Amino acid sequence: MAPNRRVKRVAASQPGFMTLNTSIKPENLVSNRRKRINKNKKKNWNKHIDVNDVEDFLEDVRLQERTTGVASTTPNTRAIMSNTRAIMSYTRATISTTRAITLCSLCWPLLDSTRNNQQRRGLISDKSDESLFFLDAGDKKAGTQTVVEPTGRRKASRPLKVDLILKNNSLVPVPKDILAYQLPNAKKLRNVAKKAEQLAAIGKVPKKHRPPTKVDGPTKTTAADAPNNPTRDFYDIWGQETKETRDPWYLRQTGKAPVKRGWKWNEKSSLIPAVEIIAPGGSYNPDFFSHQALLLKAHEVEVKKEKEENKIIKQLAYDKDDRATEESVFQEQVEGLEEEDYDANDFNSACTLGILNLVEKKTEKQRKKERVQKIKEQRRLASRYKTGQQQQLFQLRSIKVSLRQREQRTKERQTQRRANQEAEKYRPRRLGKLKFTAQDLEVQLTNELTGSLRTLKPEGSVLKDRFKSLQKRNLIEPRERAKFKRRLKIKYVEKRSFREIT
Amino acid sequence: MGGVQKKKFDRGAATNYITRNRARKKLQLSLADFRRLCILKGIYPHEPKHKKKVNRGSTAPRTFYLMKDIRFLLHEPIVGKFREYKIFVRKLRKAYGKSEWSGVTRLKDNKPVYKLDHIIKERYPTFIDALRDVDDALSMGFLFSTFARTGKCHVQTIQLCRRLTVEWMNYVITSRALKKVFLSIKGIYYQAEVLGQTITWLVPYQFSHDHPTDVDYRVMATFTEMYTTLMGFINFRLYSSLNLVYPPKKLSALSSCLARVVSSVEEDEAQMDHFPVEGEDVEQMEAREKEHKEQEAQRRLFEGLKFFVNREVPRESLAFVLRCFGAQVSWDKSLCIGAAYDVTDETITHHIADRPNMEKQYINRYYIQPQWVYDSINSKICLPVEDYFLGVTLPPHLSPFVEEKEGDYVPPEKLRIMALQRGELTDFFSILVQDEDEEDDEDDDDEDEEEEEEEEEEEEEEKEDEQNLKKMETQRSQGKVTPGKVKKEDRGRLEQEEKAEEKRLAIMMMKKKEKYLYDKIMFGKKRKVREANKLTAKRKAHDDASKTDKKKKAKKQ
Repeated sequence: MAPNRRVKRVAASQPGFMTLNTSIKPENLVSNRRKRINKNKKKNWNKHIDVNDVEDFLEDVRLQERTTGVASTTPNTRAIMSNTRAIMSYTRATISTTRAITLCSLCWPLLDSTRNNQQRRGLISDKSDESLFFLDAGDKKAGTQTVVEPTGRRKASRPLKVDLILKNNSLVPVPKDILAYQLPNAKKLRNVAKKAEQLAAIGKVPKKHRPPTKVDGPTKTTAADAPNNPTRDFYDIWGQETKETRDPWYLRQTGKAPVKRGWKWNEKSSLIPAVEIIAPGGSYNPDFFSHQALLLKAHEVEVKKEKEENKIIKQLAYDKDDRATEESVFQEQVEGLEEEDYDANDFNSACTLGILNLVEKKTEKQRKKERVQKIKEQRRLASRYKTGQQQQLFQLRSIKVSLRQREQRTKERQTQRRANQEAEKYRPRRLGKLKFTAQDLEVQLTNELTGSLRTLKPEGSVLKDRFKSLQKRNLIEPRERAKFKRRLKIKYVEKRSFREIT
Repeated sequence: MGGVQKKKFDRGAATNYITRNRARKKLQLSLADFRRLCILKGIYPHEPKHKKKVNRGSTAPRTFYLMKDIRFLLHEPIVGKFREYKIFVRKLRKAYGKSEWSGVTRLKDNKPVYKLDHIIKERYPTFIDALRDVDDALSMGFLFSTFARTGKCHVQTIQLCRRLTVEWMNYVITSRALKKVFLSIKGIYYQAEVLGQTITWLVPYQFSHDHPTDVDYRVMATFTEMYTTLMGFINFRLYSSLNLVYPPKKLSALSSCLARVVSSVEEDEAQMDHFPVEGEDVEQMEAREKEHKEQEAQRRLFEGLKFFVNREVPRESLAFVLRCFGAQVSWDKSLCIGAAYDVTDETITHHIADRPNMEKQYINRYYIQPQWVYDSINSKICLPVEDYFLGVTLPPHLSPFVEEKEGDYVPPEKLRIMALQRGELTDFFSILVQDEDEEDDEDDDDEDEEEEEEEEEEEEEEKEDEQNLKKMETQRSQGKVTPGKVKKEDRGRLEQEEKAEEKRLAIMMMKKKEKYLYDKIMFGKKRKVREANKLTAKRKAHDDASKTDKKKKAKKQ
């Protein structure tokens, strides 16, 4: 209904609003149609429900109470009831009764206060006529009202003025914070409890208290499941052969069938052994000769490295004879400035002669002669070929020998190639940008060898050895460490405090 | 004529290979994840035969994978886990950023984890396959177990590696599978024979790590992740093969026995089964039996000996090695738990120490340097302890992994050990020692002894020759006819002669081609012998020089 609607602050609804079109009345602009809203939301109540009338009513009550002063000592419950009823009637106009109860809580303090059997002020309608009206009979000092003066002893028990001032003497009690008494999600909880009760009556345990089953799946993945958990347990993985009972067609279609691993995947990518044993010279207390042999090997590696370095230096160096002298510099500057005159006429005459020579025609005789020559040559070649073929019959032995030789050669090549292929399996392959580089040979010089296990200083790193072994066996490609690339430039600013010092 | 023109790189090698980046995109993984996946699944890059064909005409160096491999990877369930993990990290970062601590804990509780069991099963279909690849796993495990907790890798990984390696060592001890040990400057090499497979691994010395910067730790950690899983399953299987409970408890000290009931000697001495196989000689059979017996003897090398390990000696390695050959080991109580007996135990036979001398010495035990243990194991006999007393210059520690062929140079130390193995030099040593004591009080190396021994042999031969010569001369000069003696027919010699004759004839009957080859081979052999002789001569010269030096020094002093 209309009265419950909060007055919208629309310009058209304001008094004195003038429309440009005189035929339209301003009040028609604001539609009278009731807007439908959800009343089960607090937000909507605050926004759309007009409670001004209730407020007005309560304000009126307060005004009356203030003006009428002391009410009769007897609680007038009937009046209170009528009060609430009045509110109910208001609310019923807009909302259902259940919701009205919440509204009632607004005037709850009122009800509450009446219950306290205290001195009350009341509404004018509830007052008896005697209390409202009195006969003016002039000023009579002595008379009906006898005020008992407190004696001196009682004076002491009187409250202090300060306390009286500070005392809240408003008759409107402090509104209670209803939210403090409310439980969040009370309804939901109530429903859940109710449901649980019902289930318990049947004999079902809620999921929360049930031990986890397989259907529920893993509830919590903890560190215990991690592959590197030091206390993890192992089982006989090769002993049990679980036979698949499900339909293979189903498994294939649903992608659940394990993909077979071809034999090729289990082949080793290199024939180099996983752990390569150091040469006998690498013993902590080596035999003299084996140690020398190892040293020689290391020496050779170093020599090779040095050679390569020298090669680069040599390539970068320039020939000292090519150094620019004063003369050559001058020569360069002058280049092209001096004119060299050559005989142009000579060149021209030579050209014309050549052309003339080419143009000269052959005579008929010459042509004939050439033709005959040609035929003769052809015949000669044919006959030669023929005799050659006939001769080959007698060359059979030598041909056989040459054939055998050729076969021998191919066989040799084949074996060589096969051997090379075999050798290739022991060599690291080129798998990426970088070539494999072997680590430095672990070697201790004669003066570094202590000959005792206690004083031994281990050489090289096993970690690096393992890493290089993986690379050597083509399991991982050799890589560079990723370089750190700064996206934004660092701006260097000298701090003032620092500048002062320097 | 006609038809559609064939496009380049639509078939052949170009379609068989895929570049790393394309593969990564196909799998929707980051490079790090892709690399991890490849390592776990055992998919490695390939070098194509014709790079230009594969690389679409370009010759730029790239990493290639086989297309089939990548298609195979597409089916891997772990790929999904990797993606999940990526999301998890993202969520976690977000929660941290918003300082939602409850959210962080919730996420951490539900951290996605993956298992590698199925991959192990797939990569190693049988147990023997797995055992063949255990070299790598062991080396990596031992390496990671020596890492300090520096944050270079996960602490849990270190702990797991430690556990698995200790389990492995205990298995080797119980099965007495160790064969060779080599102390190198890099680390200690061990070789064991487990179920017929020769397994070699490298153990770094303790506390010897400087972390090199040019090693990709992430890659190493991934390999270790795979290998720890593999090793766990292998250990389980090995333990169950010995009827032992897995996982065992309280092992790290390497002092306690795994099996409650130690198998008695009679049980171990079970007779080898005889299976008569056609085409196999009795000789071969005997040889095999002999070998088996030798192995058995080697296994019980230190049985009945009681060792005490001083604190300056690498305890773990020695305890492992000694117990592998049946010895009892103990150490100082303050050094490590699991000490079985004290230094004061009177029944200790060998005390291993690595210091010039010890103040308090017991008379009924040998004080030796640790190398004795390793050398004895490699030579398969208990070497004379005199060479390894405290303060004595040790004989060189020879690599047991070198096997000399015929005609190769063999260092005299090894020759001596071989002689000892044959049982030829048992009391020779004691004689030598006495002689030396008489001659000079210098502490001579065994090298010198060796040399002298050789010299003596030579002298003896010379003497014999001289005697023969003298006899002949006297016979000639006298011109007498001595009474004939019945020549004893030496059968062995006759046989040998016959064989030699046969060989000579065979050589004569050879075809030209074969003869050529034969000559070549013989020439090679002779050259080898010549080189070896050269080396021995060199060695002798070296020894002489060092000896004279020593003498000079001694005189000066």
